[in-house]
Amino acid sequence: MSPVDTTVELGGLRLRNPVLTASGTFGYGSEFAPFLDLRRLGGFVAKSLTLEPRVGNPPPRIAEAPSGMLNAISLENVGVEAFVSEKLPALPEGVTIVGSVFETEIDRYAEVCKRLTGVPRVAALEINASCPHVESGGIEFGQDPRVLAQLVRAVRCATSLPLWIKLSPNVTSVAEMARVCEGEGADAVSLINSVQALEVDVETRRPVLANGLGGLSGPAIRPIALRMVWQAHRAVSIPVCGMGGIETPEDAVKFLLCGASAVQVGTSNYLDPAVSGRVAEGLEAWAERHGVARLADLVGALEPW
Amino acid sequence: MVEATPSGAGPAPIRGEGTVVSNRVEAGANHRLLLRIPGWPGFAPGQFAMLSPGARGAVPRSDPLLPRPMAVYRQHPANGAPQVEILYKRVGRGTGLLAEASPGQRVGVVGPLGRPFAAPEPGERALLVAGGTGIASVYELARRLAGRARVLLGARGVDDLMGLDDFAALGAELRIATEDGSRGFAGRVTALLEEALAEPGPARVFACGPTAMLRRCAELARARGTPCVAALENHMACGFGVCLGCAAPLRAGGFALVCCEGPVFDAERIAWERLP
Repeated sequence: MSPVDTTVELGGLRLRNPVLTASGTFGYGSEFAPFLDLRRLGGFVAKSLTLEPRVGNPPPRIAEAPSGMLNAISLENVGVEAFVSEKLPALPEGVTIVGSVFETEIDRYAEVCKRLTGVPRVAALEINASCPHVESGGIEFGQDPRVLAQLVRAVRCATSLPLWIKLSPNVTSVAEMARVCEGEGADAVSLINSVQALEVDVETRRPVLANGLGGLSGPAIRPIALRMVWQAHRAVSIPVCGMGGIETPEDAVKFLLCGASAVQVGTSNYLDPAVSGRVAEGLEAWAERHGVARLADLVGALEPW
Repeated sequence: MVEATPSGAGPAPIRGEGTVVSNRVEAGANHRLLLRIPGWPGFAPGQFAMLSPGARGAVPRSDPLLPRPMAVYRQHPANGAPQVEILYKRVGRGTGLLAEASPGQRVGVVGPLGRPFAAPEPGERALLVAGGTGIASVYELARRLAGRARVLLGARGVDDLMGLDDFAALGAELRIATEDGSRGFAGRVTALLEEALAEPGPARVFACGPTAMLRRCAELARARGTPCVAALENHMACGFGVCLGCAAPLRAGGFALVCCEGPVFDAERIAWERLP
């Protein structure tokens, strides 16, 4: 048995290790069955669910960017009912499953949360607050502190499950947004979502994505994510789940040091469907090599100059 | 002996590491890569693999970040690990990196992926039509069908006709079209398809190539009432159904993922005019 205690507490959940996979990069879990035993992970966050099945954007939906990629999928998903009746039963026992919720109106967010509450095996909910809010003129829910507060209040009332709020990086002060979530009863904040971005094809003089704007993810955004995790960690006392360009165990250590209690592996899952398992096991090995008895001891242990 | 042709799906994919056995320029920008891949489970015609040149591990390569989908051309029984052959065209940074991989270097492999070509019905003539890099996708089908197939290959010029000698060695009826007239018929390969479709008797079209070529194949087949399947070559980040980047628009509305619902589709399902 490893001398390292890998368990962590994250927003009402006890995880066997601090490595999860990020919503939107891990499908509904079973896609990874040929490559990875999901029980090697602390858990996984399923693809964001809406009340009804949702069709995504026209192609091109993805493009490569320096050390990263852009996407504008528009949260295509099977809808909450099909997730519960078809996707959940396909997963092996012993996997910690976090449901992700995304909608265009606050009461619909709350309704999806209600439908997922009490469903066996859904251990927690993560609220994707990066959707454009129609009533606010298209600004993301997570970009306006008042709208974010309304959203968190509504979903908090709708579920007794551990509630994590996934924050947008497209804000002036992520600390303020994290404080709003804490004030409204969230159990944790997850960050960062993809960074709003634009890439251009000079031959056609068009954006590379049919949608125009997209979300940048991958190693390109890792230092931005580390900065925001550190800022959020200093602003609130609820746990932070950190993500953004994690590829290696050392990347995960950086997020823990900056204050993340757990991490999510995202875009790297596309490149290597087994990478999250290697990050989890590598993290344990890293701690052992460095004489760290508990991974939780690394959380927020960033040393000043 | 004719091997059984595939029906539903190919073997379950692996996430493995290939070692470059050889990697050479074939002609022009076309390259031929031979990878030794321990644990490779075999493949069915039309399937592909995601290739990621350069070791991933302690110090991963992050630029260019994404793996590249490549048709599995053929495989060789070898002493020890199976060897898989890939024909590819050097076009950008990803294929440039692949072209620089020398013998002994490692290439990340996820595959085989996608739903393969189904076999033609008994009594049908199999018309295989391929253009440009799409040629690599139909070789294994041509090999397994051998004498039952007519193979129509097209490209800009003779240097772009990847694998030409291999096709010639199959014994299948082979016809060539080049746009510059450097080999075979001077013009587009779809003109050869039009001729072949005019012959009597039931037939089935198996196509892979640029969107404009596939669209034309679909139109010609539809006009004759001939079934046509097409293998698409969309960009994708993962290859196994989670990035949702490879969505192809459907005539019935909505999208299908090229990686796991395809790459082979009934051409009638695809909204060709909306496919980039």
